[in-house]
Amino acid sequence: MSKHIIHRIVCVSFLTLVLCSCKHGEGEYHGITDKIAAESKNYHGTLSSEVHLEGIETIEITEGGHTFLIPERKGQIKSYACTECHSKPLAQLQSKDGKKAHWDIKLVHANENTMNCTTCHDGSGMDDLISLTGNSIDFNNSYNLCNQCHTKQFEDWTGGAHGKRIGGWAPPRASMTCVNCHNPHEPHFETRWPARFNTQKIKERE
Amino acid sequence: MRSDNKKWFPLNIGRKNQEASNGCSCGKPSGSCGGHTQEVKKDGFEQVFDVKMDRRSAFKQLAASLAIGAGAVSTSCSMFSGEDSKEKAQIDWEEQFKGNYKLMTDEEKQATVDRLVRSYQLRTGKTINMSAKNAEEDVLFGYAFNISKCQGYMDCVSACVEENNQDRNSQMQYIRIHEMKDGKGFNFNEADDNYYHEVPAEGHFYMGTQCFHCDNPPCVNVCPVQATWREDDGLVVVDYDWCVGCRYCMAACPYDGRRFNWSKPEVPEEEINKNQHYLGNRLRKKGVMEKCTFCVQRSRAGKNPACVEACPTGARIFGNLLDPNSTIRWVLENKKVFRLKEDLGTEPKFWYFMD
Repeated sequence: MSKHIIHRIVCVSFLTLVLCSCKHGEGEYHGITDKIAAESKNYHGTLSSEVHLEGIETIEITEGGHTFLIPERKGQIKSYACTECHSKPLAQLQSKDGKKAHWDIKLVHANENTMNCTTCHDGSGMDDLISLTGNSIDFNNSYNLCNQCHTKQFEDWTGGAHGKRIGGWAPPRASMTCVNCHNPHEPHFETRWPARFNTQKIKERE
Repeated sequence: MRSDNKKWFPLNIGRKNQEASNGCSCGKPSGSCGGHTQEVKKDGFEQVFDVKMDRRSAFKQLAASLAIGAGAVSTSCSMFSGEDSKEKAQIDWEEQFKGNYKLMTDEEKQATVDRLVRSYQLRTGKTINMSAKNAEEDVLFGYAFNISKCQGYMDCVSACVEENNQDRNSQMQYIRIHEMKDGKGFNFNEADDNYYHEVPAEGHFYMGTQCFHCDNPPCVNVCPVQATWREDDGLVVVDYDWCVGCRYCMAACPYDGRRFNWSKPEVPEEEINKNQHYLGNRLRKKGVMEKCTFCVQRSRAGKNPACVEACPTGARIFGNLLDPNSTIRWVLENKKVFRLKEDLGTEPKFWYFMD
């Protein structure tokens, strides 16, 4: 009789041992953050999104410890270089008998006390932009102009929380720069109608 | 499983299998759990017939199979039907008896994809491109949504419908954009997900929901036929050919992430996205579930999902959670993120944040 009991105890304890040693599905990690921390330790990704960047001219920048690509800008500006027209000093071009230019640009960015054309454009060297302290900024790196005021957005952009990726999610990272989404002369987004309206949903909910 | 043995020919129901019974109680959906060395997988014909079943379901299986079989036999033996219809009958036959995609070997996955492509070609004369690409190593997909940036334009919804070949008649959409009143919190009861006025509306903010690809997905647990599961890269997918349409998963999902095809989904031929994946946007049939797959046909190729690409405000961020240098990781580590119904323990891989 006692033999039976011992046998049973041994069997039961062996069974519990077997069951306990088996990792129980989701119990392996306490949550998704633990899983991410554990599984990214030996990360060696192989996928690349380079193919999706074909045909887009980019430049590499390093800002805030992040190195990534942004689209090249100067090649996209129709009338660059500016000095092709701006051959005379600004004062002469602004006179009444000169040809009118840039008449379509309306500045709706901050207010008149804060900004006018020369806050960003260099009147004496039209091919470049100019910082608040008078340093020259290349058109390709125009984000350096924006980050003088929009520091928070800039930080989010360098990290990847603000703005939009080009190509795909996989490295190398390519992100749109400020002026790819915001018109610097009129940076706000317009209100508009939604892309679609679901008429079936209305019927279903009647 | 021997590859030289065509699984759909012998009709020996109840054949004894030499495989050991699966004694693992750990319920882990993927990988081995250390107890036993090899899990013997059943496939194709065996999955259908080599299970204990009651008389009624056995008859049902047989009846369905016989209908197909009779069709196949009559066409393949007919002197009048052409080569094409014989091939089509053969494909239908093999498709009827194929196994659960989850259990297929890579060759079997490729074979079923090839059959589906050929079948579409025979039926419509058009060629589609269908992939059976598996999850990439060291990838776990995650998504972040910026509620301060979304303006409610719904460009994402349109892009999603076009990308994923959703039924146009019922206007099915995976994504819902909820227009919420400022100061009311996340009140989904009072939110409007079908607004039509100029946006963004004064005093409102917008919040998108879709399938959150939970790491602990309740929809997967309730599926009686294991037609839905979580892939290794975190995508929760559906095998449309294995789904029986019971809609348990739809009821189990706390986020309204799943959609059902009440009628035969119809997409105009010229609007069909021909770049497809077996688990993604291939054409569905009546009576099966479907849902957002983070555009598996795009994301596994390194591209962003269609909604991310279409968003004009940059409110949608997608990436690899396992890559410490990815933008999604930066968002999770540096922004104040939260998830919906976190207390349920579903562990969604979809985070919200604000500027």
